[in-house]
Amino acid sequence: MSNTLPLRAWPAIAAIGILTACGPKQIASPQRPGQDVIVLLPDAGNSVGAAGVSNAQGSVDLDAERETALVMPNRAPVLTRFSDADVKRLFGDALSALPPAPRAFTLFFRFESDELTDQSQALITAVLAAAKEHAVQDVIVIGHTDTMGTQQAKYGLGLKRALMVRNLLVGAGLDGSSIEVTSVGELDLLVNTADETAEPRNRRVEVAVR
Amino acid sequence: MNKSTLFALVVVGCTVASPAVAQDRPAAGRIKVSSGDAYVLRDGAQAPAQLGQVVYESDGLRTGAGGKIGVTLNDDTRLSLGPNSELKLEKFTFAPADSNFSLVLKFIKGASTYVSGRIAKMAPGATRLETPAAIIGVRGTTLAINVTE
Repeated sequence: MSNTLPLRAWPAIAAIGILTACGPKQIASPQRPGQDVIVLLPDAGNSVGAAGVSNAQGSVDLDAERETALVMPNRAPVLTRFSDADVKRLFGDALSALPPAPRAFTLFFRFESDELTDQSQALITAVLAAAKEHAVQDVIVIGHTDTMGTQQAKYGLGLKRALMVRNLLVGAGLDGSSIEVTSVGELDLLVNTADETAEPRNRRVEVAVR
Repeated sequence: MNKSTLFALVVVGCTVASPAVAQDRPAAGRIKVSSGDAYVLRDGAQAPAQLGQVVYESDGLRTGAGGKIGVTLNDDTRLSLGPNSELKLEKFTFAPADSNFSLVLKFIKGASTYVSGRIAKMAPGATRLETPAAIIGVRGTTLAINVTE
């Protein structure tokens, strides 16, 4: 009996060698030169979104917490999963620089008017408090209408509502230069309706504080 | 027009006059966090990133050792960079009145995070995140992205 392996066995051994060299173990190093790492993280409130990572060679879908795509140039993305420690090590500094999450408030109006409902009137102080949590304040005020009236009238009414909210906020002590005012009329309905439908929930101003 | 308004206009005029091209671009967001070596890249020049500074479409953000930057875009998208990192705000359009949306970010090096905003919500498919080796399509998501040169 010979100690040497039969000639036929060598291709198989070579194949195992190549698989080991290119397989997940080596590719899992997070900072391999030329490698991109894309990790899906939970959103605020711990829900997890989704993302697709692709190039000419292939694609992977990320749809669970810390699912990770590793991508080398001209190679198909490889799916793996980072640990919390991996995320902290590679992204801890970047995550600590993320600005506070924007907050949104919705204020409702009386029919064909720029007068707030009573409950919404009370929200003005909440908007003010949220704005003051930020070192650099940005407040975006967007006016909305229901589907009653002409496009131009709806745009105008949305703007009138937004300006009215802006004035309330400035009156309550917010710096006017940090407030941006705009109107979208009926283009972003909260409740989808047919044209020319009076719908109180669509008569609103959305205030984004960030 | 009173004196202080006039003064304010003159100051604003002088402030925006130096990066003249930036005025023609739509404002995309503001710098909310800046520490250490942190820079805004505009028209081939690099200037320190100031807290509250407006960033525009086609601006770049770059950090050196120990630097960090956090930005909130006008559609509530949030971005941040850790040390030794760079990204480019390739394209930003947020015009809900015209149903016109686009966000293209190029991740050039280092560690960044992206938290989707209204563009991803209102216009699925309008967001594209590019790394040197891949393109990321987003459906309302928080992502951490690292590019190793």
